[in-house]
Amino acid sequence: MSSKEELIKRLRDAVIARDKDAVVQVANEIVNRGDIDPLEAIEKGVAEGARIVGEKFEKMEMFLTDLILAAEAMKAGIDILLAKLPVEKAPKKKGTVVIGTVAGDIHDIGKNIVVALLRANGFEVYDLGTDVPPAKFVEEAEKVNADIIAMSALMTSTVGVQKDVIEYLKDTGKRNKFAVLVGGGAATAEWAEEVGADGYGETAIDAVKEATRLIEVKRKC
Amino acid sequence: MLTLLEVMERALTGKALPEREFDINLSKKLSEIVKEYDIKYDGETLIPSDNSLADDVFEAAIHFYSEVGSYCIDTGRVIHFDENEIKKALKLAPSQITLGEGADAKTLVPRKPDSDIPPWCFLGAGGAPVSSEEIFLRLVEAYASIPLADSVTTPALTNVNGMRIRPGSPLEILGSIRTVVLAREALRRAGRPGMPIMNAVSTAATSVALNTALPYGLRKTDGYLLAVLAELKTNFDMLNKVCALQAFGCRDGICCENGPVYGGYCGGPEGTAIVTVAGHFMGVLMFRAGWHLVFPIHMFYTCNSTPELLWASSVYAQAISRNTHLLSLHLNYTAAGPCTEMCLYEIAAQRLAAIPSGVSIESVGVGKAKHEDYLTPIEPRFAAEVAYAVLGMKREDANELAKTIVKKYADRIPNPPMGRRYQECCDIKTGKPGKECLEVYEKVKKELSDLGLEFKY
Repeated sequence: MSSKEELIKRLRDAVIARDKDAVVQVANEIVNRGDIDPLEAIEKGVAEGARIVGEKFEKMEMFLTDLILAAEAMKAGIDILLAKLPVEKAPKKKGTVVIGTVAGDIHDIGKNIVVALLRANGFEVYDLGTDVPPAKFVEEAEKVNADIIAMSALMTSTVGVQKDVIEYLKDTGKRNKFAVLVGGGAATAEWAEEVGADGYGETAIDAVKEATRLIEVKRKC
Repeated sequence: MLTLLEVMERALTGKALPEREFDINLSKKLSEIVKEYDIKYDGETLIPSDNSLADDVFEAAIHFYSEVGSYCIDTGRVIHFDENEIKKALKLAPSQITLGEGADAKTLVPRKPDSDIPPWCFLGAGGAPVSSEEIFLRLVEAYASIPLADSVTTPALTNVNGMRIRPGSPLEILGSIRTVVLAREALRRAGRPGMPIMNAVSTAATSVALNTALPYGLRKTDGYLLAVLAELKTNFDMLNKVCALQAFGCRDGICCENGPVYGGYCGGPEGTAIVTVAGHFMGVLMFRAGWHLVFPIHMFYTCNSTPELLWASSVYAQAISRNTHLLSLHLNYTAAGPCTEMCLYEIAAQRLAAIPSGVSIESVGVGKAKHEDYLTPIEPRFAAEVAYAVLGMKREDANELAKTIVKKYADRIPNPPMGRRYQECCDIKTGKPGKECLEVYEKVKKELSDLGLEFKY
């Protein structure tokens, strides 16, 4: 029988290897033994594996597909481990983000990178895809009680829709309910300031840092 | 060669697959093929001179594309082409095209590695945004006045009468029409009325905007950009543009524009080079492209002046130019903004990677082409002058020179200087670059001359 440390290390390594089947198998082993705290397995196994993948991604030693597969493996492991935890002991998610590429824009790779990186960093992410109209961002954010609305726009002709979403929030009296994060090829820090966004991410890594900061600000309020 | 109807039939009946599965399958297959063909970036060479590497990348791309195909987002199906169809289409693709009219018409011809055949110089803004019609006019007039310019790429107007353009709205249609009218006027002012606009109506515009703008000054001899959606995907709106342009009578001008993302589904520089080559196949087969505009790009820094992307750009260019007669132009994006030495160093390295590797050029998306009014006519002019200075240069020599130049800027790519706005660099009344801008340009040209680059212009 494997020791507790060995099992947790196997769990971590399976996440790093983006091997969802192995993650599921080890997570089930841990749960079935009954003598390992699932929370410890999440923190030292799954989350640690995801952190290492995120680091490798930032150094470009791993790429987008690795990040997506690792995030999926991580989610599968957490689902199994969480099922054995009482609700009050479940770790708090970092925050909830509703994200999409704005209306008229069908470019999604940059947004997909942010989605994968947010998930790997413990955010709950609702990905609305591409060509998302302003009202849809707001409806979905309300539905899932999001902390952040994040919008990507690659093209000069589509970036204006980021402003439309913020104006829509203001005009419907919901601006203070959500932090707004903008990014994508056509967005700049100056643009974010001009339209009244709460945060701007030039790169996917910046976007995750900004999302983390916005959550911290929100929790302090 | 397949007709558009045959492509549509495959888009409607091909293998049904969720988009995520297509993306992941593409990435996994690419990784396998990189290993199978033993394609390796050594981390040092920027411009390889190993012909077998270029040929292996070409063969790998044929193998890869015949297995993976393209994806139609609207139908959720894979559009597949077998190796014979790919090879046949490459043979039937145009080996030269003539763009422009009258005295400004010119023929775009294929080049080869180490060749002294002059490149086509497609000069201008690389899609960068401008805030006013006045700046737009001044810039396009200045681009057309560059003696080495064969065609122009216009900036993107961000607003119409002060209203920011919204996609799919009347503002987009009005903006597209205005772009065409203003660009033609600018070319007339420059005394080059027949010069082709090769980004006629921006890639982002819908097929509705393109169709509506066609009668307002666009010509069958202009260039029209149809984008590959990353990676190797398309949609009905892009195919609608093919349909509209074919009905318009435009054959040579259709361009397949492809910007594979290094670090995204392509993975590393090796996969990025293969997907860049495969994008040409997609352009020929699906868009019937007469020419190709290519810009492999960095996932984080949104430029292609990093060592990995100089390598990927050079390798794709050699693979295409050695193995096909396709008409390929490499588009460069710099990290640094206008009126900075770093920006000019980046351009020099990028043109060293493209010209001796056998392709022509579009230049230049300055400062990632994202900051409004951060562009001048100096950078595209400099790019063309470097392109002519390196004509006939051997790849080995280009590699050594590029390595020296890259050392001057590589560590600043994550935090590049933003440069200065057009209004600070140029006289808005005359359109002429100011003293400071010209001093930077002269200084870098002298430095490059001291390094052995022989400027002819």
